[in-house]
Amino acid sequence: MNYKDLIIRFVLGGAAVMLSYLVTVISPWEILAGIFAAFPAVMITAVLMMGVISGSESAAKVANGSVFGMIGCVVCVATVWFVLTLTNNWILGIILGLIFWFGSSVLVSNLREYIKNMEIRPKGHKVGSFHKSQAEQHK
Amino acid sequence: MSALFIRFILGGAAVVASTLVSRKLGEKAGGIFAAFPAVYLAALLTASLDFSGDELISYSVLLSKGAIVGMGINILIAIIAGYLVTRKGWKRGLSQAVGCWVIISMVVVIFTTY
Repeated sequence: MNYKDLIIRFVLGGAAVMLSYLVTVISPWEILAGIFAAFPAVMITAVLMMGVISGSESAAKVANGSVFGMIGCVVCVATVWFVLTLTNNWILGIILGLIFWFGSSVLVSNLREYIKNMEIRPKGHKVGSFHKSQAEQHK
Repeated sequence: MSALFIRFILGGAAVVASTLVSRKLGEKAGGIFAAFPAVYLAALLTASLDFSGDELISYSVLLSKGAIVGMGINILIAIIAGYLVTRKGWKRGLSQAVGCWVIISMVVVIFTTY
């Protein structure tokens, strides 16, 4: 277990929630509290730790991969917002937000896996079809 | 001051807890939990320490509005980070990506407020 990684995550996550609250109290910009609440603490730490351990190429892969995870987060926040506006039920909003986050994340993960499998499939058919179409052109 | 400290502890604990859960689970489920919106949920849950009833609902709606904009910015930043880290190395690339997060966030705040 890498404790350095956990400490950085703890500090960044704690600071983001703290700043989100501080911004609510002292700043006139209401939207800023939400932006801080969405601070990408996990992504930054993951890229940082991967950079330290395996170098820039792996770190870039982590950054690109995190895009897919963020789609689930958008769905979670949108669900909470929608349910709160519709029902005024705070607990229901959070519960449905979590359910929709999980559902959409599983869906995105499966879709990503499917696309990856398509990419690593042997290209024999494509090459064959290219030759075939070329042969047809020569006819 | 104690309100700030409680939020720091809860926010940090939420992120660490989601990290530990993601490591305990397998590769696929772990990958899903690695992107758990811990900071947003911690901010939402700690709002109940200060607000209740209609005030809590309107604050949570406001927080969610900002967070959805923030998540949009995050997607953009992740793409920028992927590009910059490849071109400039992880140290400079990541610092510049965080710098971009600050600049884009401030531009969005200014455009949505004024």
